[in-house]
Amino acid sequence: MRILVVEDEEILRESLKRELVAAGFTVDVASDGEEGLYAGREYPVDLAIIDLGLPKLPGLELIRTLRAERRGFPILVLTARDRWQDKVAGLDAGADDYVTKPFQFEEVVARVQALLRRAGGWASPVLSCGPIVLDLRSQTVAVNRQAVDLTTFEYRLLEHLMMRAGDVISKAELTERLYEQDFERDSNTIEVFMGRLRRKLDPDDTLQPIETLRGRGYRFALPRDPN
Amino acid sequence: MPSLRRRLIVSLSVSLVLFFGVTIVALDAVFRSLADRSLDELLDAQTVALIAATEMTPEGVTVTRLADPRLTTPGSGLYAAIDDGRRGWRSPSSIGAQVDFGSPLASGERRTVRAPGPEGGPVAVRSRGIAWRDDDGDTYALTFSVATTLEPYAQQLQRVRTQMFGWFAALAILLLATLAVLLRRSLAPVQQLEQEIRGIETGAREALSTRWPRELDGVATNLNALLAAERGRIVRYRNTLGNLAHNLKTPLAVMRASLHGATSVEELRAPFEREIDRMSGIVEHQLRRAAPGGGATVGQAAIEVRPVVADLRAALLRAHSHKDFSIENAVPEAVRFVGDRYDLGELLGNVMDNACKWCQSRVRVSATVEPQSPTRTRLRIVVEDDGPGIPDSELGRVLERGQRADEATPGHGLGLAMVRDAVGQYGGELRLARSAALGGARIELELPGR
Repeated sequence: MRILVVEDEEILRESLKRELVAAGFTVDVASDGEEGLYAGREYPVDLAIIDLGLPKLPGLELIRTLRAERRGFPILVLTARDRWQDKVAGLDAGADDYVTKPFQFEEVVARVQALLRRAGGWASPVLSCGPIVLDLRSQTVAVNRQAVDLTTFEYRLLEHLMMRAGDVISKAELTERLYEQDFERDSNTIEVFMGRLRRKLDPDDTLQPIETLRGRGYRFALPRDPN
Repeated sequence: MPSLRRRLIVSLSVSLVLFFGVTIVALDAVFRSLADRSLDELLDAQTVALIAATEMTPEGVTVTRLADPRLTTPGSGLYAAIDDGRRGWRSPSSIGAQVDFGSPLASGERRTVRAPGPEGGPVAVRSRGIAWRDDDGDTYALTFSVATTLEPYAQQLQRVRTQMFGWFAALAILLLATLAVLLRRSLAPVQQLEQEIRGIETGAREALSTRWPRELDGVATNLNALLAAERGRIVRYRNTLGNLAHNLKTPLAVMRASLHGATSVEELRAPFEREIDRMSGIVEHQLRRAAPGGGATVGQAAIEVRPVVADLRAALLRAHSHKDFSIENAVPEAVRFVGDRYDLGELLGNVMDNACKWCQSRVRVSATVEPQSPTRTRLRIVVEDDGPGIPDSELGRVLERGQRADEATPGHGLGLAMVRDAVGQYGGELRLARSAALGGARIELELPGR
């Protein structure tokens, strides 16, 4: 997996590179926005980590440009500004997640891994399978155009299932995905979440969006809409 | 740009001159036609009198008794003549005076002409052709003419014109003077406003006074709001900088002290890490406090609340992704906030962040509006959660600066105090209560809306 780090602060850039290499990634670095844009265009990047306060080309501009050129790799934003407006601006420009400085390297690596696991086979940030539509940017889910209020864990399960709609995903994988950041482990099992998710998505039991395959796992059964 | 007063005076002067000019020309024409008619009547009367005094003799016409003594006085300005085709008759007044009475007229014809008279002054000549039948039954074609000098008439016209110009000029000057005074009086508040603004620039005043005519009231109120917001911002930034510098000194001192006593790098690691954490906490704390502007609602477009909540929801779900909970955005469409988008983001971001920290599994954001004036509404944004809520005993305390209801969960107290200040700057209120629907904290922000 190839990761592009665009960060002007040398110490941070080199530490990030070291940590990511240690976690098994291939890392390209860029020290300003223009270099970052060049790398984003020329290299087969799987994920980019972009600082918002970059010289030459501001981070937000860089993200917008990459997205405008339909480069779909996940983007993790680093922001020194602890203001809500700045966090929101990054996501609005097309980033997928953000980390606030000062950060723990473990957290950055965890987020990178989560974003990479998520990415799969969708060109657009809006996953739509028949009546069920999931928007990765706004973290919203709608069934038949009606917003459905999911919890973070329910959302994450559905996101993972829909990302790989059609594939069978094992319970172990889903559990790992759910508790990826290794915070408190909940006593709730996948079955409990799956039950809640099904009730919220399909209260009448007519859509049957998620199949249970005994001993193998789960599968999102509704076909993907052509993009 | 020319001053309002000059613009008004110039345009009014031009229209006054035009108006009076047209009036003068019209009055002049009316007067002249009246004068012409009375002149004709005068000459006709003289002609009739002349006809009455005329007798026909075998030698020709003769005039026996002249009624008007002016006809017998040479150079009197009134002249008469009778043309009988022969010698004719001329009044004694026309002796030595060159008056052209014109050609004879057929019976029943009348004519008025202006002709050069004696001494070059013009005369008006009124002539009338008459078929004269004498006692013998013989008929003679006679032309009676009476001429009068136009000198007095011209003089009178001149006098009338002079008077007319005089009156109108006086009237115009009076009108413009009145106008100038009125303008000075009615524009006095504008001048005062200008002076007060200059006073603010030089620091002599803090704010504009409050009593203004209705037309200026909006401007003055908005300017005051702007000034207050600006002043608030400056004070906040100054406080922030002061606090920042002050608060950073302690960790720096600790670090210096640990450096002093340390013998190895390992010894330094623990205190340095602790102090670095403390310093980033301080920086974050002060930046958040300085963030919202608030107050100035001048020239700001109304902002849709729902998309702002939606954006914050997406950011907060990522920030708290280790926790299983949901954020419901129940803000209706078309609910708008009047103020700064950035401020709204910070206010809601802080309140919602608190709710996300404290909730068990649900956070709900809703909003209502109620009309307040034709252009403004009161906007109430409510953030509720199903967490433990704020104990009644702590309700007052969490709003104090830097106080937290629970010291273990960082950031609770500070955020709310900041939010309360910013809401206050928008003329609104922050209310804390227990949520009836979710059972946890209920935080209501009352803000200006549209």
